[in-house]
Amino acid sequence: MSEKISLDEIKKMAQLSKLSFSQEELEQFFVDINSVVSHFDKLNQLDLSDVSPTSHISWSQPPSNPDEPREWPGRQEVFAHAPQVIDSYFIVPKVVDKQEE
Amino acid sequence: MEKCYLTIGLEVHCQLLTKAKMFCRCGTDYIGKEPNSLVCPVCMGLPGSLPVMNRKAMELAIRTAMTLHCEILPRVIFHRKNYFYPDLPKGYQISQFDFPIGINGTLEFMGQGEKKKVRIKRVHVEEDAGKLVHEGLNIPSECSGVDFNRCGIPLVEIVTEPDLHSPEDARDYLTMLRSIVRYIGVSDGNMEEGSLRCDANISLSLTEKTMGVKVEVKNMNSFRSVYHALEFELSRQQKCLAEGKKLFPETRHWDETRGVTVSSRGKEEAQDYRYFPDPDLLPHTIEQVILNDIQSNLPELPLEKKERFMFDYELTETEANVLVQDCSLANFFESCIKELNKPKFIANWVITEVLKNLNDLRQDIQHSKITPAALMDLLKMVDRKEISGTIAKSVLEDMFQSGAKAKDVIAKKGISFMSNEKELEKIVHQIIEQNPQSIADYLSGKEKALHFLIGQVMKVTRGQASPEIVKNILNKELSAERSLCGPREPF
Ligand SMILES: [Zn+2]
Repeated sequence: MSEKISLDEIKKMAQLSKLSFSQEELEQFFVDINSVVSHFDKLNQLDLSDVSPTSHISWSQPPSNPDEPREWPGRQEVFAHAPQVIDSYFIVPKVVDKQEE
Repeated sequence: MEKCYLTIGLEVHCQLLTKAKMFCRCGTDYIGKEPNSLVCPVCMGLPGSLPVMNRKAMELAIRTAMTLHCEILPRVIFHRKNYFYPDLPKGYQISQFDFPIGINGTLEFMGQGEKKKVRIKRVHVEEDAGKLVHEGLNIPSECSGVDFNRCGIPLVEIVTEPDLHSPEDARDYLTMLRSIVRYIGVSDGNMEEGSLRCDANISLSLTEKTMGVKVEVKNMNSFRSVYHALEFELSRQQKCLAEGKKLFPETRHWDETRGVTVSSRGKEEAQDYRYFPDPDLLPHTIEQVILNDIQSNLPELPLEKKERFMFDYELTETEANVLVQDCSLANFFESCIKELNKPKFIANWVITEVLKNLNDLRQDIQHSKITPAALMDLLKMVDRKEISGTIAKSVLEDMFQSGAKAKDVIAKKGISFMSNEKELEKIVHQIIEQNPQSIADYLSGKEKALHFLIGQVMKVTRGQASPEIVKNILNKELSAERSLCGPREPF
């Protein structure tokens, strides 16, 4: 099997996704992801030079909203599910911007 | 040290003036609202919710791009810009990537008396993030509070090419851009309240042809701080180059209190936003009718208006510049001259007295108590020489504060209309009788005596007569007096 994605790239993806994996898991992903990517070699055999990239299968007028605000009545329910709410703020562990470090 | 070449590019975010958010129906009027009171599953990123585009937001973004003479890309594709931060509940921001609304535009502005042109690289729409609060009465110090009221409000991002070459240019460009977004009604452009935000890319090089190292400056909260941050960066980089130090690409934050930029640590690797088309939003095409409609409704822009004011009303460039900076002020002025066709006279009053009063009250013309009709009631009296300019100024000040009509303020202040010439003539006669010496002086050619006499009349009328009218009456009376004394000139 040809290597399309390096182990380092897999580690970086995990890091960007804020996920941590064991070395064994990373190696398994290395095998799995490369086999998925290799599959695209088949598609690459087709001559697609005249075909523009498809970002979505539909290309029609989507629904849209008028610019009229409406209040959503369920926020108390969201508060009830949040781990901690103080003065209507959702409370998270301290986040400090890089510039304030 | 040798000459340096400074290059600046600006990225400006403007909050679009919609009533509802970009992809949900929550309201946008978040200032002063209770945290998390303008929220719903879409803007809080709850599972299973789906975004639906606000038509008005798209229209405003297109209007912005058209005004900046951009080429409009009618294909609309939204991308996800991925990053993790607690103010971004979905883990991505819906933005635009390779198909922004507009590309390759231009903006003209006046920079230090010279007309300058900046190329606009792109204009795109995106949604705003929420707000983090690090200190609050009841929020424990090891925690932060998150408020999603601002999350999902539509923004338009306007990116220039690196065509600006001084901190002054940057400030003047921003001033014009703010004026334009206000003119076309897409944003209130208020930097202090965060509805206009600006990041700058700045680079300094020793030769004109080479590009320096790009440094990004963030966290500037006013036009003044943009100017000062760029000035600081310019001298910091100059100093580095002079000392033979190497500059490196980095992001720096402006520290307003200390007046310095500070490097943001630990950004060794460039952010990887992993942009990809948002599968929740259908790509679509903006219909040509809609584009035509927006195009045909674009208003006159500041520079065009300025030129028209100079040509039609014979104003100086400085006068016209002041009037057109704020569209409502320009409209106010034009409503005034419909009542009295003396543009120069009215422009003068608007530029000095009206602006001074607005400044003192920290108001803009839209929110002031003065209407064009109210101002013109007063200025017509000045024009008819019924009241003096000095009195009119103090009456105007009262009108700005109380919102009362000119004639009511005048009545309240006990200023009587000294327009009644008969009455004034009587007073003038009195003065002439009481001051024979001054009359003699005047008739023997001492012009100064006339001023004394005017002063006497003003004293008797407690300053309420128009000096102009008094002078006319005096002149008339005195020339009668002169002819009684016998002709001085040969027939
Ligand atoms: Zn919402």
